[in-house]
Amino acid sequence: MKLTRRNFLAWAGLSAIGAVACDVIQDEELSLQSPRSLPEDLVKGRDNWYATLGRQATDGEGVIVRVMEGRAKKIQGNPKYPVNQGKQSVRSEVGLQTLYHPDRLSGPMLRTGPRGSGQYRSIQWEPEALDILRRELRANSQGMVLITEPLRGTLGMIADRFTSSLGGRHLGFEALDDTTYRSAIKRVFDQDRLPDFDIGNANYVISFGADFLSTWKGSTRLATAYGEFRQGNRRQTQGSRGYLVHVDPRFSLTAANADEWLPIRPGMEGYLALSLAYVIISEGMQAEGVDVDALTNGQGAAALAAFAPEQIAARLGIPEQLHEGKSAAEKIRDLANNFSHHGPAIALGGDSAGAHTNGQFNLMAIYALNYLVGSLGSGGGVRFNPGSPLAMLPDAARMGSTADWATVASDIRSGVTRLVLVHDANPVHGLPDAVGFQSAVSVGDPFVVSFSSFMDETTIMADLILPDRNFLEDWGDDVPEPGPGYEVIGMQQPVVNPLSDLDPRSFGDILLSMAQEMGQESELPFANVEAALKACVEGLYATGRGTSGEAGSADELWNLMLRQGGWWDESTSGPTPSAPNGLLSDIAAQGREPGYAGSGDFYLLPFSHNTLLDGRHAHIPWMQGLPDPVTTVTWQTWVELNSHTAEAMGLREGDVVSVGTDAGSITGVLYPNPALPPNVVAVPLGQGRTSGSDYATGGDPRESSNVLDILSASHLTENGTLAWAGHRASVRATGASLKVAKFEGIFPAREIGHTAGEAVIRVTNH
Amino acid sequence: MQEGRVLSTREVNRDLLRSILDTPRWFWPVVTVLGLILLIAAIAVGIMVNRGLGVTGLNRPVAWGFFITNFVFWIGISHAGVMLSAILRLAKAEWRRPATRAAEVLTLFSLMTAMVMPIVHTGRPWRILYWVFPYDFARGIWPNIRTPLVWDPSAILTYLTSSTLFVAIALIPDFAVLRDHTTGIAHRVYSVLAMGWEGNARQWKLQIVAGVLLSALILPVFVSVHSIVSWDFGMAVAVKSWHSTVFAPYFVVGAVHSGVSAVAFALILLRWCYGWQDYIRHEHIDALGRLLIVVATGWFYFLVMEILFGMYGREADELMVRQTQFTYWPYNFWFILFVITTYFIPVALWLSRAWRRNLWIMSIACISVNVGMWLERFLIIVPGLINKQLFTFVWADYRPSIFEYIIIGSTFALVTMLMLLFSRVFPLVPLYDVKEGDVLKTQVQIGRRTVPATFRED
Amino acid sequence: MVTSRIDHKWGMVVDLDRCNGCQACVIACQVENNIPINDKNAFLQNRAYEWIRVERYWEGEYPNIKARFIPVMCQHCQDAPCEPVCPVFATYHNDEGLNVQIYNRCVGTRYCINNCPYQVRFFNYWHPNWPERMQNQLNPDVTVRTRGITEKCTFCIQRIRRGQLQVERRGGGELNDATLKSGNHMPACVQACPTNALTFGDQNDVHSPVQPYFEDVNRYNIHHEKERKTRGYRVLEEMNTRPNVIYLKKVDPNLDSSGGHHG
Ligand SMILES: Nc1nc2c(c(=O)[nH]1)N[C@H]1C(S)=C(S)[C@@H](COP(=O)(O)OP(=O)(O)OC[C@H]3O[C@@H](n4cnc5c(=O)[nH]c(N)nc54)[C@H](O)[C@@H]3O)O[C@H]1N2
Ligand SMILES: Nc1nc2c(c(=O)[nH]1)N[C@H]1C(S)=C(S)[C@@H](COP(=O)(O)OP(=O)(O)OC[C@H]3O[C@@H](n4cnc5c(=O)[nH]c(N)nc54)[C@H](O)[C@@H]3O)O[C@H]1N2
Ligand code: SF4
Ligand code: SF4
Ligand code: SF4
Ligand code: SF4
Ligand code: SF4
Repeated sequence: MKLTRRNFLAWAGLSAIGAVACDVIQDEELSLQSPRSLPEDLVKGRDNWYATLGRQATDGEGVIVRVMEGRAKKIQGNPKYPVNQGKQSVRSEVGLQTLYHPDRLSGPMLRTGPRGSGQYRSIQWEPEALDILRRELRANSQGMVLITEPLRGTLGMIADRFTSSLGGRHLGFEALDDTTYRSAIKRVFDQDRLPDFDIGNANYVISFGADFLSTWKGSTRLATAYGEFRQGNRRQTQGSRGYLVHVDPRFSLTAANADEWLPIRPGMEGYLALSLAYVIISEGMQAEGVDVDALTNGQGAAALAAFAPEQIAARLGIPEQLHEGKSAAEKIRDLANNFSHHGPAIALGGDSAGAHTNGQFNLMAIYALNYLVGSLGSGGGVRFNPGSPLAMLPDAARMGSTADWATVASDIRSGVTRLVLVHDANPVHGLPDAVGFQSAVSVGDPFVVSFSSFMDETTIMADLILPDRNFLEDWGDDVPEPGPGYEVIGMQQPVVNPLSDLDPRSFGDILLSMAQEMGQESELPFANVEAALKACVEGLYATGRGTSGEAGSADELWNLMLRQGGWWDESTSGPTPSAPNGLLSDIAAQGREPGYAGSGDFYLLPFSHNTLLDGRHAHIPWMQGLPDPVTTVTWQTWVELNSHTAEAMGLREGDVVSVGTDAGSITGVLYPNPALPPNVVAVPLGQGRTSGSDYATGGDPRESSNVLDILSASHLTENGTLAWAGHRASVRATGASLKVAKFEGIFPAREIGHTAGEAVIRVTNH
Repeated sequence: MQEGRVLSTREVNRDLLRSILDTPRWFWPVVTVLGLILLIAAIAVGIMVNRGLGVTGLNRPVAWGFFITNFVFWIGISHAGVMLSAILRLAKAEWRRPATRAAEVLTLFSLMTAMVMPIVHTGRPWRILYWVFPYDFARGIWPNIRTPLVWDPSAILTYLTSSTLFVAIALIPDFAVLRDHTTGIAHRVYSVLAMGWEGNARQWKLQIVAGVLLSALILPVFVSVHSIVSWDFGMAVAVKSWHSTVFAPYFVVGAVHSGVSAVAFALILLRWCYGWQDYIRHEHIDALGRLLIVVATGWFYFLVMEILFGMYGREADELMVRQTQFTYWPYNFWFILFVITTYFIPVALWLSRAWRRNLWIMSIACISVNVGMWLERFLIIVPGLINKQLFTFVWADYRPSIFEYIIIGSTFALVTMLMLLFSRVFPLVPLYDVKEGDVLKTQVQIGRRTVPATFRED
Repeated sequence: MVTSRIDHKWGMVVDLDRCNGCQACVIACQVENNIPINDKNAFLQNRAYEWIRVERYWEGEYPNIKARFIPVMCQHCQDAPCEPVCPVFATYHNDEGLNVQIYNRCVGTRYCINNCPYQVRFFNYWHPNWPERMQNQLNPDVTVRTRGITEKCTFCIQRIRRGQLQVERRGGGELNDATLKSGNHMPACVQACPTNALTFGDQNDVHSPVQPYFEDVNRYNIHHEKERKTRGYRVLEEMNTRPNVIYLKKVDPNLDSSGGHHG
């Protein structure tokens, strides 16, 4: 084509139009069209999702498990299960790694070397392994002790009946047990079951020490409620965002999420709670219909006069710089004001608040606050769970306190207990050395049988190891606690078979068959756990309530329960307790300050590790490799000190420091935490494992310690559990330094944006 | 005043072919040592490819480190050849003559070495084909022409091709001389390479025209290569300090700075090795020194501007990168060292005529420049990545591993070895160019003095 | 295969006010996507993989100190800086708004890693180390990456694809919020998040809970509306990467308008 002026103008015009057109049409995402389907399109094979229970999470979560070609692939929350409502805790999914762990014990083993040497030889279940068990039960069942993880439901029933009928004892073990919490609930509310907190509908929550967003009872359920509490649908329309105050001498994950964090002297939580009560009563701010006279034996505020803010503020150790310009007493009064005026409100407490010599007093004072603001049984308040729908199924685990363990140890030592059975519990690691459990086993030389699937400090003391099936390979059930406020039974079914190179047997089945061989047919008339479950389901069907109403027969109910993961009856509800007379004055009378064991510059605050808990998950690489939410440290024992304190002591991140109490000392790597109170040293549990999988024990000994080892076992609460939060410790540099295995980078993580537009996390005040 | 005596053709041939026709005593031991270094590096690369880049000190967020630094460095060195040959040839700068060949060859070898770097630095170097060459017809997906990583190989390969041509054409007359001085297989090889050169007028004319044309053609390539290398960084919107607007010219000038210094040093080394005092003379080194003052100062201006522009926007993360460069250990140390060695030490030395003519001092100055320029690339690449963006949570440091040191070190051995081997088969100082220069030198007479036809007088 | 595709444009909304930093999303993503085990060295060498990570920022000084959490996953930028720099199109944009990574093509230049402003791309410095028995748990829908390549959050594309396939198998209809939820096709992190801080959905679907937030932010960013109606914003908005992830501002009732805290 010849380029004429006419042509040129025409083309110029056309291209101008084209350009404009291109500009008008919104340019969408730049995308490359590939003529082929992409690898991501290739989805092959069929998967099945089975509903069962996630035993890896301490509170028993309902889960669904994805199974393909006989292999479990994913564990996630069961949306139908009322407790966790389709969500799961960080600890839930790792069931997969316990199932397919390379260090899983493959079959029965008999000790060949000296006790604790870890020398075993493999034996066959039949007849050798079971014969030995039979022999030991016949000879030594009187006085035997069965130590398990907290067990509820059918397995709890089997364990209880098995031991009681054969003349032994069953005790649940947890390193930081909940005995004090239970007894406080019992005394304040006269309830045997743990309450459920309707945080989702509350407007104001004061939490004392309970790390309920991380490791405390029912944390998954409470986290879901917390989401609602912040930005639930109702809140978004009404603009009533919940307000969270966390009272805690340590900067926990819950403290990190609180709108206000109030660090106080460890163990003074009860004082603060009663002080709030005093302000509420003296200013008449209690909820309508609350009979203050009954609560205080007619004395009114005078009953709590000793706890008036002005009286005790100085002793609480509230930092002066907190909300600059206000005295501590004013801060307490403000808090009481807000708490009583922004209902529905909840006061809850636990963890370190209850782990002091005055722990029961603390927790009672805290929970009694709920009466004052009228939050019992109401929406957005504290509600109680009904008991188990079947009398046969225990709804609360039978737990041992430190005092119980001391008794067990002395029984073993004196030969009263000749047989020790252990299932998924690790008292050797989880009890302070001073309790002497391990030495008792060495001295008393009982026959020890472990039903664990993994080597650990207790199992390595065993004479006979009879590995249990993984929970994904076995039957079971659960009466969840804390429950959702109505009756629930969770159903656990085998979703995969054990791999061919593994030969585990169900712990429950063994107990049942042994009981029958010992002539306890009448106590435990079930062929196996599955049969026991079927019996339960028949019982449930007979009630005709809840899920049972949807099934035409017990068999149908069985299938339905397997499909949906359990049975529940939403129409049931727990009791609404009323306050015992004179509750507040009684509590006030018990009021005393905490005692601290030992001396040292710092309050020692051990805490449960977000993923390893007390160390039971230390062999799971996923759990070791998941950063702690606040410090982001992994794979190590870290020691938290306030950053300025650390600096003043000449300590830097990664310095190996020794934390010493009267009972001993441990080492860990220093993590300077800008949010920790200057007089506190915080150390997580979880590491310091000495036997078992390399994942648990492989670390440098300087960065893997068990803080429980330095607690003095004689430092107990009112009810004989360990006052694990009431120790003082000193911190010394060892001169060594290691790199901290943390996820956070090496520069201080503070935002650097100058303008709102540059901030990564934007914050608004409405 | 142009120095040096007039040499006969015979002398020139004898001296300049010395490196080819006799083997100096140090030659094989040196080559063996270099070979050993390369062998160790090859093993290091082997392990790295086999086990993964985990053996390096790279991490998140520092995904590029020593290898890319070294890549940019060698690309920079490669700019000397064209700078000297093409520009000076077009500018008819007389003093260039002995320097051109060495400079061009250095260009070739440093380019080749540079190309190795991004390849070994990739996670799967064996897949290099479908990155660099558009072969992947089957799936209908061609290399992504939007990425500087595709511009890079295009520019570099173009530069390599044109530089090779440039060297080859300049070599033809010398091949003819070699053909005439050798026997046996060497004679036959040189015969082929000389392509029937007879030295007649037409051949000379063609050869000179080709040289001039290539010089002109290669200039845009020369500018674009390092501009494109700078766009490896300039295109990275996410890395603060990587997309300074002055990067392209800044990199080009920096490349000339380091490249010419490297050539000056290489010339001093060759003069010393092969006793070429009559060819590589003080006046040549002096002239390079003077040129370098100008280049260095231009480069310094860009450096200051780069920092100034970077800070001017007052973006929080850009300021953090600068803070890291200037104040954090060890980057503050490297930064000070970099500025001193790249500019203040060498320029101070070059300002004195006597020092420009002192080969020891010149060597120190030239090495200093290259130490500094290596640090410059490192200080551009790494601090930016350490403090990449506003997510301060992921900032992390970078400590190169022994593997990186070995491989980086070996590239210097590689270039040295290639240069040495080349000098054994091809003349590193162009015979005909020197002869031509001598011819010109004797031609012009002004008054009673014989003045060479050079572009300037002392 | 997938024949009749509805015009999806996936998006995620992250409510910073709900997120409590619990990391359930992190582990869920690792399980779902065969992310290599982060051993201790991974952390010591700063090479840990977390397709979704929860960052914790400090603000203020003790005792008036706050820790703020932000989960960060691939933002699936509509103008993704990682895409144009990849020489081999190993990372590119698909027609559902996702930034996709084809492991097979990746040569491991790590340019995309440098160019991602959100730091969500992870390079396999080592070969992933899976104990033999643990290989049984690997998700067959997701490639196990080898050393030398880059990986990142895919918005769990395998779950979306399975969802599309299943919806088709069950007689058509479209993959929408209801089918995503009921069929377990939500991205693993969204499914896990106990506080429901993460919401996933189709921006093109007016019924999707994510849609209003995208609309609001787009109105503000593109159409220069003065005020945002929601707490929505995009991280590093000024980079114009136009992420398909929207964050909802954290609420701090104690924040005064000057940006500081009052007592
Ligand atoms: N807000 C703001 N705006 C600015 C500036 C600023 O600082 N701030 N700076 C201004 C300045 S200084 C400038 S120079 C302009 C730059 O503005 P533009 O000139 O628009 O710059 P580019 O984005 O480089 O666009 C060039 C186009 O040419 C295409 N292209 C590349 N190579 C070739 C080729 O060989 N042939 C053809 N036909 N096309 C090719 C590219 O793909 C691209 O689409 O921007 C100006 N605009
Ligand atoms: N990475 C990258 N590099 C490029 C380009 C590119 O697109 N990207 N484009 C190239 C082109 S075409 C050009 S023209 C150059 C431009 O290169 P520069 O001239 O460097 O251009 P800018 O970065 O636009 O502006 C430089 C600085 O001036 C500041 N400034 C703004 N307003 C004023 C003012 O009123 N007074 C003063 N004193 N300063 C002011 C800006 O904030 C910025 O920090 O960059 C070239 N290089
Ligand atoms: S967030 Fe990063 S990886 Fe994801 S699309 Fe954006 S630039 Fe790419
Ligand atoms: S690392 Fe892989 S995905 Fe990233 S730019 Fe290089 S080839 Fe592309
Ligand atoms: S390995 Fe996969 S991508 Fe490569 S050629 Fe074979 S089928 Fe194709
Ligand atoms: S969307 Fe999927 S891949 Fe992305 S972070 Fe969530 S779980 Fe991981
Ligand atoms: S799971 Fe949810 S609440 Fe927990 S860190 Fe992730 S986004 Fe936040």
